[in-house]
Amino acid sequence: MRRHLAAFLLAPTLLASAACGADGADEPAPGQPDKVTVGVIPILDVAPIYLGIEQGFFDERDIEITLEQAEGGAAIVPAVVSGQYQFGFSNMVSLLIASSEGLPVKVVSNGNNSTGVDGEDFAALMVKADSPIRTAADLEGKTVAANTLQNIVDTSVRQSVRKAGGDPTKVRFTALPFPDQPAALASGQVDAVFVVEPFQQAVLAEGGRAIASSYVDAAPNLTVAAYFTSQQLLADNPDLATRFTEAMAESLSYADSHPDEVRTIIASYTEIAPEVIEKLTLPTFPPEVNRESVATLADLALEDGLLSKAADVDALLP
Amino acid sequence: MSGILARVGYALALPVVLVAVWWFASAGSTDFYFPPLSRIVAVFPDTWLSSRLADDVLPSLTRLGIGYGVALLAGVALGLAIGSNRVVAAVTEPLLEFLRAIPPPVLVPILILVAGIGDTMKVLVIVSGCLWPVLLNTVDGVRAVDPVLADTCRTYRVRGGRRWWHLVIRSASPRIVTGARQALSVGIILMVISEMFAASSGLGYAVIQFKDGFRIPQMWSGVILLGLLGVLLSVLFRIVEHRVLGWYHGSRDGPRER
Repeated sequence: MRRHLAAFLLAPTLLASAACGADGADEPAPGQPDKVTVGVIPILDVAPIYLGIEQGFFDERDIEITLEQAEGGAAIVPAVVSGQYQFGFSNMVSLLIASSEGLPVKVVSNGNNSTGVDGEDFAALMVKADSPIRTAADLEGKTVAANTLQNIVDTSVRQSVRKAGGDPTKVRFTALPFPDQPAALASGQVDAVFVVEPFQQAVLAEGGRAIASSYVDAAPNLTVAAYFTSQQLLADNPDLATRFTEAMAESLSYADSHPDEVRTIIASYTEIAPEVIEKLTLPTFPPEVNRESVATLADLALEDGLLSKAADVDALLP
Repeated sequence: MSGILARVGYALALPVVLVAVWWFASAGSTDFYFPPLSRIVAVFPDTWLSSRLADDVLPSLTRLGIGYGVALLAGVALGLAIGSNRVVAAVTEPLLEFLRAIPPPVLVPILILVAGIGDTMKVLVIVSGCLWPVLLNTVDGVRAVDPVLADTCRTYRVRGGRRWWHLVIRSASPRIVTGARQALSVGIILMVISEMFAASSGLGYAVIQFKDGFRIPQMWSGVILLGLLGVLLSVLFRIVEHRVLGWYHGSRDGPRER
């Protein structure tokens, strides 16, 4: 029995090391590889960095990555600023707020973008099958669940409401983790949810319907999230930051052109069932940050009162 | 009068020293997450003496008041019932100890399923934690009724409501108050915790929002406000306790001195 338990506990570790060891860990790199820790959220958005590690794009540039999983971008930012992580992954609005509040963060690579196709994105604003809500404008006076507040989700949902002709200040938001949202919607505790994949599939399976693709409403080909570092690391080790940026660019391009491998790698770090993974709508992974979309987000966040003053987008972006 | 002043002086001395140390030690701080105390104090009025008082502080205190009140009534009522009957006590005790040992925060996901994500859930979280200290202390208090007094009541045929009120509740009241005091601190903790899940108002919610919005001085001001509220509530509790238990403290202090 005890041996079974040990095997059970070891299995994920072995799988993870197998996934990382594509180029062989015992092959000594010229010089000493930089050991870096990157804070990520275990969602499909970060598939490129997992793929990049597997493909050896980081090894080639003498970067040895340990990925640490965190709950959300707001939890990763302090760890990066304090130097506990060298790089992190966060949604763009949290980074804009952090930067405008004076945190020394700097984007080093694009993360992922919406598909840009209304009705076919990897995230959606959804309601129950029998809900009287038809458009985002009907959400006035209603409650919408978002994973955390003051990030890209509520900013985008407000834009959907605005675009549909409603008053976004009349929408109530409740913070609810993504996994709890389908059940909360089904039982009527909230009127609408904003979910990303795979929870979009969960709501669809329960007969829910999408009323808006909020990431598409926010800006064309919106940059949803990005990889960032601290100004401190940029000053101390600019070369490392440059190599990370290059490796990420290669990983993003690779992921964008190999959707099947993205689906395979998602199974390695999430608990999503294989039959659901096949159905998922994937984000796009362009190597460059869509600056225009970030500027639009900054304007929206200012209008919603998430930012107390206009953000310096150029200072944040590479 | 001078005695009271001296006591207030003693009570405030250490906090004043600690605040002074914090103030000067943090004065030049450039650490984003540990801002100077002067900045925290500076943002305090704008943060809390505005619409947040009605939007966050009041809902929190209302939920705490209802939850604490329900726990107090239910705890005393159940405690009297259980404590006054040996068989009931023997049967329920293991179960009560088990239920008490469950940390209320782990009940939150279950309570969300049962009661939704609204105020009911948050009040239930507070009740689920506050009930046990009141209930268990009441049971103990009822069981420890002075047998001589109980016999006296029987001899004089003091029965029914008068017996409950003048003998049982009165004898148990020091223990009930002890339970109520423990429940109050548990209640404040659970008030904050319940607002960290699926909330859209409240002090715990506001602190989390400040953290997620990287408004760190405001976040600290929320933590300080929670501390101040705790102190204020415990002072209020002491005042009430002195009125309710005046006879008890008097009877204990009496023979010892003077």
